[in-house]
Amino acid sequence: MAQWQEVQQLPPTHLERVHQLYTNAALPMTVRQSLADWIEDQDWQQAAEPFSSHARMLFHSLLTLLGEQLGSLGPGDEDFMLKHNLRKARIDLQAAFEEHPENFANLVANLLQEERCILRRAQAKGQVEAPPAPSTAPQSSQEREIQQRLAEFRTALQEAERAFRHMEDLQDTFDFSYKMYYLPGQDHSHDPQYAQHVQALQAKLQSLDRQRREVVAQIQQLLGRSETLRDFLQQELSAWRERQQRSCLGAPTDTCLLQLQGWFTALGEGLFQLLQLLRAVGELRQKVTYEQDPLQSELPLLEKRLQEQLTCLLQSAFVVEQQPCMPNTPKRPLVLRTANKFCTRARLLVRLHDRNHRMEANIHIDRDPPKTRGFRKFNILTSSSKTVLVGDSPREGLVCDFQYLTLKEQKGGGSGKGSRGSNEGPLAVTEELHLITFTLAYAYCGLELKLETSTLPFVIISNNNQLSSAWASVLWFNMLSPNPKDQQFFSTPPPAPWPRLAEVLSWQFQSIAERGLSREHLQMLAEKLFGSKPSPESALPWTKFSKDGAAGFSFWAWLDGILALLHDHLKQLWKDGLILGFVSRKQEKKLLKVKRSGTFLIRFSESMLGGVTCTWVEHPESGPPAFRAVVPYTAAELASLALPDIIRDYQLLAEENIPENPLLFLYPDTARDEAFGPYYSQRHEGILTKKKEYLNQRLIRVSSRQPHETWQTEEDLVVATEDLETLRLKSGGQQPESPGTVPGGGRTPGTPQAVSPGLQQAVVEGVVLQQAVAAGLGTQQPGPQVAVLPSPQQLGSGSIGVLQTGMGNLGPPVVLQLLQVGPGGQGVLPTGGGAIGPLLGSGAAELLLGNGAVGLLPSGLGDLEGLPLQEPELEAGAVQLEAAELLPTLDDSAVLLDPSDPFLPQPEDVALPATPSLFTADGDFPPLHIDASDFQ
Amino acid sequence: MRPRGKAEGRPWLRALEVLRNCPSVIVHAVLLMSQRGRHQESKTKLEISPSETMKAEEENYKEEDKEPKSEDWRPPSVFGAADLKNRAVGLYNIGQTCCLNSLLQVFFMNIHFTKILRRISVPVCGTQKKNNVPYQMLLLLEEMQRGKQKAVSPRELAICLLAHRVTMFVQYDAAQLFLTLWNLLKKQMKNPELVEKLSDLYTIGVQEHLACQICSSETKRNSSMLTLPVPLLDSGFYMLKTLEECLQCFFHPEELTGHNMCFCEHCGKKTPFRQCVKLVHLPQTLTIHLKRFCFGRSAYIHKISSCLPFPQDLDFNEVLTEQQCQAYDSEKAAWQYELFAVVAHSGSTSCGHYCAYIRSLTECKWYCFNDSLVEQVSWDDVKSTYGHSDLSWGQTAYLLFYMKKHPQ
Repeated sequence: MAQWQEVQQLPPTHLERVHQLYTNAALPMTVRQSLADWIEDQDWQQAAEPFSSHARMLFHSLLTLLGEQLGSLGPGDEDFMLKHNLRKARIDLQAAFEEHPENFANLVANLLQEERCILRRAQAKGQVEAPPAPSTAPQSSQEREIQQRLAEFRTALQEAERAFRHMEDLQDTFDFSYKMYYLPGQDHSHDPQYAQHVQALQAKLQSLDRQRREVVAQIQQLLGRSETLRDFLQQELSAWRERQQRSCLGAPTDTCLLQLQGWFTALGEGLFQLLQLLRAVGELRQKVTYEQDPLQSELPLLEKRLQEQLTCLLQSAFVVEQQPCMPNTPKRPLVLRTANKFCTRARLLVRLHDRNHRMEANIHIDRDPPKTRGFRKFNILTSSSKTVLVGDSPREGLVCDFQYLTLKEQKGGGSGKGSRGSNEGPLAVTEELHLITFTLAYAYCGLELKLETSTLPFVIISNNNQLSSAWASVLWFNMLSPNPKDQQFFSTPPPAPWPRLAEVLSWQFQSIAERGLSREHLQMLAEKLFGSKPSPESALPWTKFSKDGAAGFSFWAWLDGILALLHDHLKQLWKDGLILGFVSRKQEKKLLKVKRSGTFLIRFSESMLGGVTCTWVEHPESGPPAFRAVVPYTAAELASLALPDIIRDYQLLAEENIPENPLLFLYPDTARDEAFGPYYSQRHEGILTKKKEYLNQRLIRVSSRQPHETWQTEEDLVVATEDLETLRLKSGGQQPESPGTVPGGGRTPGTPQAVSPGLQQAVVEGVVLQQAVAAGLGTQQPGPQVAVLPSPQQLGSGSIGVLQTGMGNLGPPVVLQLLQVGPGGQGVLPTGGGAIGPLLGSGAAELLLGNGAVGLLPSGLGDLEGLPLQEPELEAGAVQLEAAELLPTLDDSAVLLDPSDPFLPQPEDVALPATPSLFTADGDFPPLHIDASDFQ
Repeated sequence: MRPRGKAEGRPWLRALEVLRNCPSVIVHAVLLMSQRGRHQESKTKLEISPSETMKAEEENYKEEDKEPKSEDWRPPSVFGAADLKNRAVGLYNIGQTCCLNSLLQVFFMNIHFTKILRRISVPVCGTQKKNNVPYQMLLLLEEMQRGKQKAVSPRELAICLLAHRVTMFVQYDAAQLFLTLWNLLKKQMKNPELVEKLSDLYTIGVQEHLACQICSSETKRNSSMLTLPVPLLDSGFYMLKTLEECLQCFFHPEELTGHNMCFCEHCGKKTPFRQCVKLVHLPQTLTIHLKRFCFGRSAYIHKISSCLPFPQDLDFNEVLTEQQCQAYDSEKAAWQYELFAVVAHSGSTSCGHYCAYIRSLTECKWYCFNDSLVEQVSWDDVKSTYGHSDLSWGQTAYLLFYMKKHPQ
């Protein structure tokens, strides 16, 4: 938009300044208005220079134009005043400046500058006042500064070009006059006209000289400003590099290069334009030169300075946009596996190129390998050169994208790691850092350069099990290395300051499970690492992080185990903050102590790799609160049953109890089902009209607790039945006392009954069917289980409970001491065994039982020997337990079992002896009697 | 208007004439003309042109001078570039004078200096006027302040300097030229009071200590310096990181052993000495000379272009230790400085360019003086003169001028 138009659109306060400016100016605003475009197009600054003939020319043009304007105005009344004003202005101007038009030029130049000044101020103010447009992201002050400087640079460049054109004119005029009038060979001593010519020539040369110096000064100034601009861009680029490094470590940062590319390209464009200008100036010098010619001395300096700046800019503009990364481990770049594909990409941020020049990028691995003994050498198997793709859209840019690269170790000469045997190098494979260097032969506008850039150092592994420790190396390097190319970093790895490490660890959780570590988490980790509250100076040595560990594994291995567990099984729960996770025992007690019974929290095991456990609190009628925790679940268990389901169906078996779920409230105070409801695996609502052939099944976990014995924390895997059609589960929410009501409750068929918390009750056509089968701990593998359970519909079998026998030694000591308290709380049920009994009775059918727990089976086995599991008619062989009275409905459940079901487990499927292992040979358990008649 | 014509026969004045009439030389250079007689002839004729232009210029000034008087209701901004830029006016480069220009700007922007300069007495006769450096500087300053142009030419001053055997139109070391200029100023100011003021404004007082390491006899000597020439490399040839470190290095005691041993009168033989410089007094305007040009292993001079940050605020009490100072507390209390100007050099030793970054003392804004171009800049632009190890042709600060925050 033309300047005058912009001025007219200024807000009133600023417009007032413009009026003020013109009230006192010798140039009336009328003239400014009527010749706005023409005035803005002329170079008044130039004309205001001393010795300029330009000023006179401009002044007279203006007068002529005013005359034309007057002539073009019609005789109408509306133009009358305007005509008068213009005429008056013309006369006044002529009178005032006829003698010294350069004064007029100076006046106009200053007026225009003032206008621009007012405009700038108005805009600056407007920016502050007006809220930023919603579409554009808010810019930092640094970004604004860069934009503004780029704009200023462009303006200054245009000015320099204008000055150059003026110089060209002056030189042409001089050249012409010189050739016309200067005749040194003859005697002109008596020719006054000749003397005049020479004098005029002299003046022309003088103004040319001045103009040359002016142009040189302008270019000097431009170079000075571009250095500042380059500094700014450099800062932004290193900030980006830092961001990229952080994002490699999993930090959620923006690593988009488009804005930088825009800036670099703009500056590059400007500098190349300047280079062209400089060359043109050089050509003018070729034509005319003289003693003390400023171009003679200054041009070489300017050229060198400019070329150096361009080189510097281009060198820094060549960046690795994507660090080497295997597509199958996108969250862990910079770890490459031999023979696995990986990709990496470099970009030239100065998006200027010569279409006729084919740019080829090459990559090399370890061009200058460190002189370490045993340092492995690798070859890039795929092509190592690529033509730079030139996209037209800015998004594409000048990119060399290397995909599908693979590495192969150079064998031979005994230099490889595999063959080095005794002369092992000082560094482990995962501490050996490698680099890929990109080189690019760049040519543009006669400038030829070889650009280079390097990736961050990466680790090359040959086996997936090295991935975790390789990643630890990558973390450590990028967190601490001051030099991004230091391949010898691990010869003396520095310790990590805790605040820095804490941040990086949090990123790991952020990137893998979308939720970082809270202050409390980090507090716990710090205490684990440093044994006390961390001070800002606390630093962790590399070996303590990745190598040594009291528990048989390093801190990192432990953390990475948790990360893997989160990633595979607990992502959602972690993300939604249901897992408290890192809580020390002490802290855990502190938290739970003040909560009501049945409040539990989920935390990661500190004693085993990749384990998660629940701890809950019970407040006995007397004595201190009891805290109980189950043996941690690992990926193995969680693969077959998700944690929310485990929590929902978790059963605690105590000898005097019917199974109950002690997990009632998620810390701090959310009802279990409310907290975990959304995560329970989906129920299949049965279709009543369709006859179902099988009962659904469901796995639950229980723990058993022996009376008068050490508390058993270990949990067992229970396979629970699920209903066919109308099964409803009633669990949770009940008071712990409710078990007492269970046995007596006469129930209506099909009506769900309140049962003890956690005790799963399937009500099917008035039949409650429950089964529990026990197997030995540890023998219960998820794999086999699944294999044995042919399908969810298989057989109306009840729950399959594989109860682990009491292995007191696994129980945490805390729990042990609470033993006496536990069972006392619920005295209604005769025994824990009693509760289990019926489960076992009907569920004995569940073939899983057998999973080879034999070895662990304690005595009591004998009672079950007669289990007719081998028989197809399960119900006939169903077990009658003494405790059957407790659950009268049990009998009916048998009806459901179809003896002729071909899918009923076949004897060979069943490892029978496992069944009785439900209970240890404690003698407290009532012997199990299986009475087929009960099922009839 | 200009005394001329007496130059014949005196070679250095002839040089002046040559300079004055450089346009004539220019034409001849183009023509590669060798005829001496004709040269003379054309010269005399051509000389008319500049003088006439000068007259015209002068008339312009007169006229414009009148203007504000008669029509003082006009805002001053409309009249001259100089006013717009708040008296920051450029100086034309009249042939490798960028170094002189930069130093002149540093002088002129220093209001403490111009206060002194304005009080000089005007020489009586024409020749004296012509050859008096302070007077010529004052004239130039007046011209700049009065000038309605964006830049003025320091020609008269250059001629004057030439008269004092200051070679012009060659690459200059700014520190050296600063010293020369300052000495000329001091020598030619007739008023002793002004001379003292000038010295007070710029000279640094130090005490040199030389102690024999064997007999502990110590000699002290007070001396004054115009600039603090601080090294960029420490004794082990490692780059120093900041200006503060450079200053510390400068005031660090040096052991003179081996070849450097001195003769001790007490011991009667050459003994190892310990040499150190203690700071006694700091002036209002403190000049620090960064020794960027140095002899490498070979004989040729090279430029150190690596990065050396300098602060905007400098407190010598924080930089130097108790032992490195020899001053009263009242003196030390005033050792609070802020950066006033930077003379930056770009290019190499053989071919380079100077420009000056100066912070206007009246409006506290930074300006970049690049010969005829003056531009308002920011501190970031000044920071770009820290230097870059990867830009050997870029601009690097060479002279730093610090100004006392609280003048005594």
